[in-house]
Amino acid sequence: MIRRLDISSLDVRALMSYDACTRCGECTETCPTGGEAQDVEMVTPRGKILRLRELYKAQYGLRARILGPKKISDAELKEFAARAYECTICGQCRTVCPSHLDTIEMWENMREFLVANSLGPLSAHEPIVKSIENYDNPWMQPRTQRSRWSKRLGEEARIGDSLKDDHEILYFVGCTAAYDPNIRPMAENTARVLTHAKVDFGTLGNEEGCCGSTMMRTGLSESAKAMVLRNIERFERASPSIIVTSCAGCYKTIRQDYPKYGKLPAPIVHVTEFALDLMNSGHISPIGRVDKTVSFHDPCHLGRHAGLYEQPRSILQSIPGVKLVEMHRNREDARCCGAGGGVKTAFPELATGISELRVADAESVGCEVLTTSCPFCYQSLKSAVSARGSNMEMVDLMEFLWNSVHAPR
Amino acid sequence: MGLYSSILIKPDMPDGRYLSERALLYVPFFAMIVFASAIILLLPYDTVYVRDQAYLQMFLVTVVVCTAVFLLGTLHNVLLWMRGKGLVSTPEKRLLCFAGRALRLLFSRMLARALGVFVRDALYLSRLKGRSWSRWFMHIMILGGFVLMFVLDLVVTLSLDVLQYQPMIEESGWAKLWLRDVGFEVAGLMMLIGLSIAAIRRFILKPSIVRTELPDAASIIFLLAVVAGGFVLEGIGIAGTIPGHQENVEYSFLGYAVSVMLPASSGEFYDAAWLVHGIMSALLIAYIPFSKMFHMIASPIAIELDGIMAGKEALS
Repeated sequence: MIRRLDISSLDVRALMSYDACTRCGECTETCPTGGEAQDVEMVTPRGKILRLRELYKAQYGLRARILGPKKISDAELKEFAARAYECTICGQCRTVCPSHLDTIEMWENMREFLVANSLGPLSAHEPIVKSIENYDNPWMQPRTQRSRWSKRLGEEARIGDSLKDDHEILYFVGCTAAYDPNIRPMAENTARVLTHAKVDFGTLGNEEGCCGSTMMRTGLSESAKAMVLRNIERFERASPSIIVTSCAGCYKTIRQDYPKYGKLPAPIVHVTEFALDLMNSGHISPIGRVDKTVSFHDPCHLGRHAGLYEQPRSILQSIPGVKLVEMHRNREDARCCGAGGGVKTAFPELATGISELRVADAESVGCEVLTTSCPFCYQSLKSAVSARGSNMEMVDLMEFLWNSVHAPR
Repeated sequence: MGLYSSILIKPDMPDGRYLSERALLYVPFFAMIVFASAIILLLPYDTVYVRDQAYLQMFLVTVVVCTAVFLLGTLHNVLLWMRGKGLVSTPEKRLLCFAGRALRLLFSRMLARALGVFVRDALYLSRLKGRSWSRWFMHIMILGGFVLMFVLDLVVTLSLDVLQYQPMIEESGWAKLWLRDVGFEVAGLMMLIGLSIAAIRRFILKPSIVRTELPDAASIIFLLAVVAGGFVLEGIGIAGTIPGHQENVEYSFLGYAVSVMLPASSGEFYDAAWLVHGIMSALLIAYIPFSKMFHMIASPIAIELDGIMAGKEALS
């Protein structure tokens, strides 16, 4: 009995896109995992497209209709699945594709297909997936500890409970900033900046759930759907005017993926957009001088996926003394940090190699402080800075802003 | 294996409904094939240069078969797309729904945007131009030549065989000289330049992003053989002073250059060369849905979808 691939989980648009690929190879040159880090064709966008097309056409193509479907061995399928999960879904390939293929959607859909065919996610992803299913966060931490980060701030920040009281702004913290002790300052500094600007804001406290990004990026769309609907219900109960998040992954997921499942009761903005508005309206003013050469690393989820490039740069440029330098690859051509798409979990060495390339990019332009606005990019780049023994400082953008905002005049 | 045990049928789908949904697509589709075949076979072809009518008949039959293979292959590929996520009925019905939506686009506010996207991104290849001028030039030559030749073929066939437009028929008519001679030469030359660059790049320079497998090599070699064969045919016609190739031959400038290298006796092989060139061109069309060249159909659709989705996002 021939095992037949189930292609009903592949999008119509994706199936069309597999045929639209011209095999030109523009994508292979800049692919962070396939082209740059290890030069493995099957990991490149072109390689994945051609391989998957080859696999399903062997069972559904014209030849298969005439002579019957071809047997595909488990080893071949497993190899393809492992390679497909080596992609960070950074979207660099979408930027360069002359056929305008929406590769970000294609890779996520490819993983849905792998899950539907019991080929994904990889065993390395299982602990995280189980943690999200059991604890609503990928860090295997109890739900009751989610808002613990805010307790440490004491009087420094006034953080309301959006599910109990009315607050105009809902701050969606995200799992990583809430639980990871190394990333907590991201949430703390966001709360400090918002408090300083006298913003009436609250959080969902311990009821905040994982946004579902990890599930979506690993192809577990059904599990993600349940999480999305739960969060939308919480948003509705909080009924804010605006939802603000400091996590690039949550931002992309809530802004772009949630509307596929339900209606958001309020618009979502990234904290860089919100902070820039606060600065432009005079609610906060960076006054502390920072005489440093600073560069901004565009997180894929914020930049290529959502088109936010100028807001973080405007914030940096408004800080007195900052000399903003661009890395050779910036904005939509920015090199990925290597952490996305579950790569850091399943292929940590590959992720480290990619993040070191990014740190080298920053070093090559004389950067002294590397900033970013994504917890995962921050984590990866900080590790790479240490691994390379670089003198560069890795700072989250909100921390950088806060240091300038609350500096003594 | 009968139709009803086909893998295309969902187990819970009543057979009657399945058949009616298929009929909605296939009846007009096969009618279109029959109609196209009838047109191909019934046109008078008074002005073709081939002298032996048997060769003409062989060519026409090949064209009919190859056109049918092209259309069926394309339909097969498109129906495979339709089997994707969210299929609740048959792929055939879904395709009809998509076709209906595409037709509605023609009468919607999005038409101007869709046309703009088509010209800028599908024809002019603006994104590729931004990344590499040489790769863009190579592709625009092939694509431009292909499009120009397709348009000229339609215009010439219509004016010769339907309208009997004299300036297109007479040896010194302006349309004959500038469209049939110069026009086709330019289109062919564009393709020849683009394909030569592609061949040199793929087989000699071999840049790291190029990966050559049989389908890649086959497409380029096949196209090159057809295009170069066209100039050789023209050269044989001029060298052998075949009717239609006796006056103002310099307008077919590349064919004329080839003719200089050929003896007058080569004209004996004109009909055979005409048939080979014609059959190869027809086979090329039939090969499109089964080759990498299918991107010439799928890519513009992908580009349009991307442009329309971006437009909708901008509006929202």
